[in-house]
Order: sequence, then C-alpha cells, then structure tokens
Amino acid sequence: MLKLFKVLALYAIYGLIVGEIIVRVFGLTSDIPQRTITSDHIQKYIPNQSGGWSDGDHEWQVNERGWAGPLPDSFDNLITIVGDSFIENLMNPDECHQSYFLKQNFPKQNFLEAARSGVTFIESFEITKHLDSLQPKYHIICLNDYNIKESISNIEAQSDITQFNTEKQEFVYGKMKAPFAKKILYSWKFMYYLYNRFPINFNKTDDVPKVDTYAIPYLEQYNKEFRSLLDYVAANYTIEDKILVLKPTATKELAALLESYGFKVVLLDDHGEDWTFGYDAHWNCYGHEEASKQITKALKSLNL
Amino acid sequence: MLFNSFEFALFLPVVFLLYWFVFKKNFRVQNILILAASYFFYSLWDWRFLFLIIGSTVVDYFVGILIDKYSEDKKRQKAWLWVSVLFNISLLGFFKYYNFFVDSFMDMTELFGYTIKSSWTLNIILPVGISFYTFQTMSYSLDIYYKRIKPTKDFLSFATFVAFFPQLVAGPIERASNLLTQITSERHFKYQQTKEGLRLILWGLFKKVVIADSLAPMVDDIFTNYGDYSGSTLILGVTMFSFQVYGDFSGYSDIAIGTSKLFGFELMSNFKFPNFSRNVAEYWQRWHVSLSTWFRHYVYIPLGGSRVSKLLSVRNICVIFLISGFWHGANWTFIFWGAFHALAYIPVFLMGRNTIYKNSVVAQNTIIPNLKEFGQLILTFGIVTFSRIFFRSDTLTDSFAYIDRIFTNFEFTPYEHPLGGNMTTYYLLILVFVIYEYLIRRDERNPFKFKHRIVRVAIYTAIVISMFVFYDDNAQRAFIYFQF
Repeated sequence: MLKLFKVLALYAIYGLIVGEIIVRVFGLTSDIPQRTITSDHIQKYIPNQSGGWSDGDHEWQVNERGWAGPLPDSFDNLITIVGDSFIENLMNPDECHQSYFLKQNFPKQNFLEAARSGVTFIESFEITKHLDSLQPKYHIICLNDYNIKESISNIEAQSDITQFNTEKQEFVYGKMKAPFAKKILYSWKFMYYLYNRFPINFNKTDDVPKVDTYAIPYLEQYNKEFRSLLDYVAANYTIEDKILVLKPTATKELAALLESYGFKVVLLDDHGEDWTFGYDAHWNCYGHEEASKQITKALKSLNL
Repeated sequence: MLFNSFEFALFLPVVFLLYWFVFKKNFRVQNILILAASYFFYSLWDWRFLFLIIGSTVVDYFVGILIDKYSEDKKRQKAWLWVSVLFNISLLGFFKYYNFFVDSFMDMTELFGYTIKSSWTLNIILPVGISFYTFQTMSYSLDIYYKRIKPTKDFLSFATFVAFFPQLVAGPIERASNLLTQITSERHFKYQQTKEGLRLILWGLFKKVVIADSLAPMVDDIFTNYGDYSGSTLILGVTMFSFQVYGDFSGYSDIAIGTSKLFGFELMSNFKFPNFSRNVAEYWQRWHVSLSTWFRHYVYIPLGGSRVSKLLSVRNICVIFLISGFWHGANWTFIFWGAFHALAYIPVFLMGRNTIYKNSVVAQNTIIPNLKEFGQLILTFGIVTFSRIFFRSDTLTDSFAYIDRIFTNFEFTPYEHPLGGNMTTYYLLILVFVIYEYLIRRDERNPFKFKHRIVRVAIYTAIVISMFVFYDDNAQRAFIYFQF
C-alpha cells in the first residue's frame, strides 16, 4: 500500500508540474488582480498590477489608484464611471472601455472608471463618496437588477460584498473572502485552471436567476427593504450628480422607481442584439460601443 | 453518480481507504462496506428503486436455496426456478416493456379500426441497470438449477453480489461462479492488481470522455437532422456513432473492471477490441461478452445450440439475436437490429466459420494484417456499423428513411461541426484511437503494456491532457447503456 501511495504522490507531483507548465505556456487561465480594502471599506485592487486575459490578446492593467483601466490625463472636468465587472471590463482591451468611447464623444471631459467585479448598488454609492475628493461633475453608475437585490438580501450569506441592513439601517461591509486561498489559487495557475474548468456545484441548481424575468418578483418581494434602501440613499448621498445606467436586462418598472427618487436614469436597450461574448455573459467590444452611444445621448441632454 | 463525475472521484477514494484501512478485519466486514456503498451509489439515481434490487436479492437468495433443496424433486425444483425467472422477467416486463406492449397492441387494434384509450400507457421511469442486475440474479438461480454452483447461505454476500456498485448499472453481467466466489473469500491488497485497476480506469475514462462524448454532438446532430444531410454525412454519422457507442460502453466496462480490481475483485472481460473482428461471429465473441455468453449459456445451449440440426440451430441463432435486440430496449428498432445481426451471423455459421477466430487476433504473428484480413475487418466493421442505424434511430421509420437517404442522396459534402469545432481534429482523434487500439489488441486487460516506463508516462500524459481538452462540463453525458 505504501508503494501505491508513493507512486500516486510521484504522479501527482509530475502532473502538477506538467500542468503548471502547460497552463502557463498556453495561457489557459486569465490573471486575476489582487484586492485590498481601504480604510473607508472600499474593496479595490492593489495598484499597478497587470495581467493577461485568456480569451484575448490584450493585457489588462490596474492603475495607480487601484482601478482597472488607464487613468485620464487629468482630473479636471471629471466624470466617473462606477460599476461592476461590466465596467471593470478585464475581458476587453482599453479601446473597448466606456471611458475610451465616451472620451471620443466628449473630448473636453475626462472619464475615470472605478469598477470592481461584484459591486453592489449601495457599494457603488460608497465608491462615489470615495471619489468625491476628485470633485467630479457627475458619477455614472452602471447597474443591473441583481446589484440592487444583493445590497439588501441574504445579508449573512454574502460576506464578501458590501450590503445594507435595512432593518438596522446600517452597513455590513464586505470582507476579503479567503484571501490566502485566493492568493494561492491566482498564483498556482494550474490549480486555478482546474477550479475554473471543473466547477464544484453540489446542489446543481442554477442560482443565478434569469435577469430579464426576476426583476418584478424581487421588487415585490423586497419592496419594503428596497424602498428603505432608496430612502437611505436619497437622504445620505447627492442625487443630482448621479446618472444611473441600467443594463438592457433591467425593467422599465425599476427605471421608473429610481426616477421617482430623482435619479437621472438611462435604461439601455440592446434592440434584441447580442452584446455579449459567446463564452461569457459580459459585453464584447461591440456591446460596449453600443452602450456608450446610448449613454452619450443621455449625457448630451445634460449640455456637457 | 456517473463514473465520469466529480462525485465519483470523491466517492471512490473514500470507499477504497475505508475498505483497506477501516473495514479490513475480514471479508464479511468488507462486504458490509461494499454493500452500503453500492446501495448509496444506486440511491443517488433514485432511492425508491433500491427496493427493486432488494426484492430481486431476497427472491433469488431464497429461490436458490429451494432449488438446491429440491434437487431430487425435479418438478418442484423447476417450479422454483420459474419463480425466479418469472419474478425477474416481470420486473423487466413492467418497468421496461409494459408501455411497448401496450403501444404495439394499440397500433395493432387500430389496424382493425378500433381505438383504445391512450391512458393505458403509464408514466414509468426505467430503473437504471435493471436489465443487468435481473440477468445477473437469474443466472444465479439457473446455475444452481444446472448444478454449476451451490447456493450461498450468506445473505450479505449474495446481496453484495447483486448490488456490487462497479458493475451494477451497466455490467459486465457477472456469474456467481466468478464474482460470488470472490465475494465469499478473503481479499488481500495487491499492488500489481491495484495498478492494473487504475490503468483500466484511466483508459476507460479516456474512451468515455475523449472518444464517446466528443463525438456525441456530431452524432446527435446528424441523426436528428438526417433529412438535411447528404449520404456521405449520414455514413459519417453512423460511423462516428459506432466509435461513440464503443467508447462509451467499453469505457464504462473498463472503469467497472478497474474499480473492482481496486477492491481485489476480478470481473470478466466485456470487450475484446470488437472493431478488429474478421467476421460477425468473431465480433460477437468480442462485443459485450458478458451478455453474449449469458444468452449462449442460458438460452442458446438449453435450446440445443448447434448440436441439433442446421435448421434448428439457425432457429436458435434467430431466437438469441431477437431476444438480445429486445433486451437492449423496448423499441422495434432494437428488434430489427437483432434480426439484422442474425441475418449477418447465419451465413458465417452455415459456412462453419463461426468459431475459427475464437483464439486468435487479427495479424496474429505479424505487425500489420494481410490484404485478406484487412478486407475482412472493413467488411465486418461496415456490417456492424450499418446495423447501428437501427440501434441509434428513434423509430423504424427514421431508420429506413436514413438508409434510403444514404442511397438516394449520395454525394460527398463536407460536414461542419455543429458547435464550430474543427472536424480534422476529430478525424485525427479517431485515427489515432484506432491505431492505438490495434497496437494493444492482444490484451484488453492491459491497455498500457509498453516495456519502457517513459513511453507509458508519455501516454498517460497525452491521455490526461486530451481529457482536459475534450471534457465538456456543460454536457456531462450519462453512459449510453444506462438506458438499457
């Protein structure tokens, strides 16, 4: 038996070495930027990182402020773009970012993207507060229905994201989830490849709801909490400088509700076109360009 | 729980370690673990069907004892044998064939202008593996009846024999003389046996994940949309299905045999490189051996086998092929498939060539086959592959329409992978697989029989890499033979 375990261990070591070589040589996994948490509880990235995206030829970079993408030339006439992984946009080159497209359309303005995968509705407002020292003219917050739901539901279960407990009227700040394991996983590329390639899913249920159908039920389900959240936001953040951009999967009812709180709302419309990658739910370059056209239209109405 | 699942990758090492380290006191304690693991394994499909296995176990255990008890009273002995046979056939008949018989009866009455309510058919789920374990338990009673074995008094061992998880759901269909004897004996850990087991598991996984599952999308596409494709594509479709079903089923058998070895058991070989058969008779000595020999021992020989007149022998051949076809599924397509094989087998039998290749392999003493052998391989593969049109089609109408289209719409047109894959990759994959199987064709129990370790390690590496490349976690496919 001991001989068996020795041989298996040898093969395991051999497999790990060969696997690591293959994954690195052929770039089979994307590099993932490492996070940090600021003193004001904002999860952002450790500045000045860069890495590759397995399904693209480009290299992503984290700027010196800890956000993905390049910094603008200047912070004068600044408009920030806050959001989740869609705006973070590691999967596209710099020329396919919202800041790039909007800069083309508004050369006198400067755009700073401040996005991170998994950002919630309430956290995006906290990020705007974090960025207010740069005195931006507007904050564009790009959202989806689930960003709002995640702010107020399953408070205990989602420790890695910033949420708001509407009952206690207090923040539950996100913590770094398994930072050590993540550090190992991101450095040990073969293990990360296996983790992505063979996802472990014991309950086999599709826990990501179909975004185009669940908005109304959850608005009804969380109606009280949701209004409580919006009341808190209206009372504690400046509304006038926020432009909420809702992704095409959001509903008109949601847009109307947000407008009733005084927000400028842009509900994107993909006109039935596919804006996403075949292998990934995020927008491809075309999707970003189309989205930017609709955001541009909204910004022009503000006489920028 | 599929062999090619993450759950099984966790389950197997846990049972292995418990078996050799915790339950090591004696074989009876180990049998308790194997039985519990087997019931757990099966219950993950549907725990309710455990009662069927337990029912089959209880009936055949006691019937076995009674058949032996009345060995002097032929009438009673035969009556008890019929209890076993009827019980198991009834289980199969109800769960597998009830709707088929009702549907066929309704179709027949419609021919005479009567319409019967469709509510006669039931929404029955086919219990996975039922065709396998019912045949295994029946063979136990039959072997006692024919005095080949004595019944066991050890119920736990018998229950383990019926439910033994590596071969429970798709065989090999074991005989008590082989497996039960091992279950009722001490097992000792043997490094060599474990090593062979792990190698077979690796080879079986390769055949399932890389060969069968990667060909499945193309086969599904071609058979579903056969009306849109040219004859050359339809030939490609059924040829790929030939490799798919072989990779799938023989892959399962290899994993089952390999897994059994890890626990110190030797199961019978189920596949002996059937793609290198020189005639249809040899094919049936190499394809699904445990079922072929079951029909031979328990149907063909009791009917007189080949010791009767040629005419009766031909009748016997027809009977076993028709039953074999029906065993595969409650559909006329399988019965036609069996009939087709009977028609292909009978000329070989009448020419007295049905056993001439029993103890040899193609190119027995040479590296490559001679021209005659090569022609025989192509012809046999062609016949067997053609028959699989019936095996794979949903209905007989589809089968004949598929065949008709091959002949009436024959032209060479390139086929494009339905998911955008590069077809050259798959042609090369099949070619490499065929060449490799040819190289190892002498020993189905040892797929990595190469002298130099470095060659073996290189092959292991290539196999594991190919599994990573071809594994599709979005389309984890059950083994085809689970449906039988």
